[in-house]
Amino acid sequence: MIYRLPFFRGAELLANCDAFAPELILCAAIVLMLVLRLFASFTRVHMGYVALGSTLAALFMAVTQWTGYGQTSTPTAYQEMMQTNSLFTGLLVYDTLTVYLRIFLLAFMVMVIWLTLLTGIPDREDSADFYTLLIGSTIGMCLMASTNHLLMMFIGIEMASLPSYALAGFLKGRRRSSEAALKYVVYGGGAAGVMLYGISLLAGKFGTASLPHLAVHFATSLGQVGATGLHFDPLMILGTLFIVIGIAFKLAVVPFHFWCPDVFEGASAEVAGFLSVASKAAALALLARFALVLSGLDPNADNLPGAHWEEMRRYLIPTLAVFAIVTATFGNMAAYLQTNLKRLLAYSTIAHAGYMLMGLATVNREGTKAVLFYLVAYFLMNLGAFAIVAFLRNQTGSEDLGAFRGLVRRSPFMVVALSVCLLSLLGVPPLVGFVGKFQVFAALFDAAKGYGEKDHTLSVILYTTLVFGALNSVLSAFYYLKVMKVMILERGLEDVEGKAPTPLVMPWGDQLYAGVFSLALLGLGLYWGPLDRASAEGVERFRPEIVKAEVRPTGPPRGMTPPPGGAPTQGPGAGGGRPGGGRPGGGRPGGGGGRPGGGRPGGPGGGRPGGGPPGGGRPAPEVPENPGERPR
Amino acid sequence: MNPVPLQHFLVVGAILFALGAIGFMTRRNLIIMFLCAEMMLQGVALNLVAFARYRGNLQGQSFVLFIITVAACEAALALALILVLYKRKNSLDVSLWQELREESEEPTLDEEPLESPPETSAMPHLPPAGREPQKKREETSHV
Repeated sequence: MIYRLPFFRGAELLANCDAFAPELILCAAIVLMLVLRLFASFTRVHMGYVALGSTLAALFMAVTQWTGYGQTSTPTAYQEMMQTNSLFTGLLVYDTLTVYLRIFLLAFMVMVIWLTLLTGIPDREDSADFYTLLIGSTIGMCLMASTNHLLMMFIGIEMASLPSYALAGFLKGRRRSSEAALKYVVYGGGAAGVMLYGISLLAGKFGTASLPHLAVHFATSLGQVGATGLHFDPLMILGTLFIVIGIAFKLAVVPFHFWCPDVFEGASAEVAGFLSVASKAAALALLARFALVLSGLDPNADNLPGAHWEEMRRYLIPTLAVFAIVTATFGNMAAYLQTNLKRLLAYSTIAHAGYMLMGLATVNREGTKAVLFYLVAYFLMNLGAFAIVAFLRNQTGSEDLGAFRGLVRRSPFMVVALSVCLLSLLGVPPLVGFVGKFQVFAALFDAAKGYGEKDHTLSVILYTTLVFGALNSVLSAFYYLKVMKVMILERGLEDVEGKAPTPLVMPWGDQLYAGVFSLALLGLGLYWGPLDRASAEGVERFRPEIVKAEVRPTGPPRGMTPPPGGAPTQGPGAGGGRPGGGRPGGGRPGGGGGRPGGGRPGGPGGGRPGGGPPGGGRPAPEVPENPGERPR
Repeated sequence: MNPVPLQHFLVVGAILFALGAIGFMTRRNLIIMFLCAEMMLQGVALNLVAFARYRGNLQGQSFVLFIITVAACEAALALALILVLYKRKNSLDVSLWQELREESEEPTLDEEPLESPPETSAMPHLPPAGREPQKKREETSHV
């Protein structure tokens, strides 16, 4: 709520900044790197070390926030903040989900910076630019993960995207890199425009852009329409759909995935690894927040007995489930045909986005917890795979699968490490990928069983999703095993010619990095208890801002109270839908003219004629209800 | 007093957005494509301002300020990228960039390619005056 900004108090601001400290440290790091390069004595310093140090500091702050979440003896401003969970007048939310993803993203950043230091993709001269972009993008992702407001959602997505465009084109000398950046910018710009249009529709319709308030409006207006029909308002449908498209683009969900393989192939493997994990994690967190808040998984649900949260879930679950099924299936099918290893991994990331969407499709805490767990597994196995591809590229000069024939005789250690990552991506038992997948599927099963008696359709949808998830795991085996077969069983060129294979000399740093990832995959696969508890904690205190004010329903105009029985008792045509003729002529502020005729065609009994937009093909630019009221 | 009803603004916003979206998808010139993307954003901005005026608060206006800022950043980045691409192919035609695609797919052929601009010398030619500065090794050894 922007208009409350002038009432900032010093103590409140300090408490907010304390909760926002990791991001502030990253901001300071960006300024530091840009200033340092101005001094001649620092031109010889590789900025990666500055970036690494500051990210570690931010990570430390985030971990202290995690361990000390909610425990404080000091100022009342802080306690006040913890009561509402909102930062900066409700633009951001500070709950355990925020902190979990902060730690996740920062730990990921540390590993990415370590990787870039090993592979030397930004040389010393370019290092300040590269790490500025990388850290800037991470700040945007942290904002995405903690957003509570449509404005912050937009800014977070753009802040994460804009530096990624530049990162994708960072290999300036390569045509493919420029092309990747071009495609990313073009698609990204279009998706941002579409999402913004959706935001403008929703924010305009309900007069608020804060997610919890929007959720209350959604649920109450659904309640009035009645549980029977699809009397959704076109503005609501379009707005939500456009916003979901914007998020789905970041997540590379299938109808909006086309940028992903091209960008990952054109960009360097390090950047592709960064984008594949961090950008997806942030988008997933955003989607989780959006879905959970809209479906009433927050304290507001108890305050509003008339609201229809279940109804909201009835729309959200099938949408997410269909997206998840299509994404996972398509990603796995398309990956099989690829010969470029980065492109193959790109399709694999699409498929994994599908698995994680399956977890979100449950729209409950268990599913979200499984996704949080899966994200960590995905971080380790995916970044590990991309890193090993980068190491091998540095030694062999190629990222094509054909160049890796018989690699096991040239560099057995790297082949083993890459195989561990691939097997974990496939979901083979002792590795953490299996545990993650199992949790997602278990959450799906539980949700499907839970809906079994209450809502048969939802139950069937969730069971179908589960079946597709299992089928996809089988499908994915083909291409992961194909890569391993090429590396291990096939004979290399030298082998065919009868020469002894030349061993690749891998630097010890690369081997250490690959070893750390393989061990982590195995270790977490065996001792997954702590991570399990942490991810459960991550959603346990998922608490969006508490809406204190009573939000009046958006539907009926003033002077017309809904019948006491609530919406379900009304038939769709009984005038409960959208009481068109009931709007008073002078309802608009300053209302001299009003609207002649006072309403839309159909009259009080008609509801919405045909459900279509009245006149004209465009998205029904219609007046929101209750113009005089200003929801806070 | 606001004699123009909200719908009119919203229709204009929707038209701007739709025109931008159509142009964005059909045009081939890189700069026009980005102009179309900007036009989509203008449609959104008009929507938000109209809603804000209608509701009598400032949320929409402040939102628009953020949109303009972000759009400026995006334009700066996109134009820099377009410059890089133009230097490489000497054309703004987006269909020249088809190197990254599925292996099984053929590149789309262009029946009527955009005409390339007349050849000009890339750099202005200056007459030699004074001594040429000594180049550093790093400057000459770009790969």
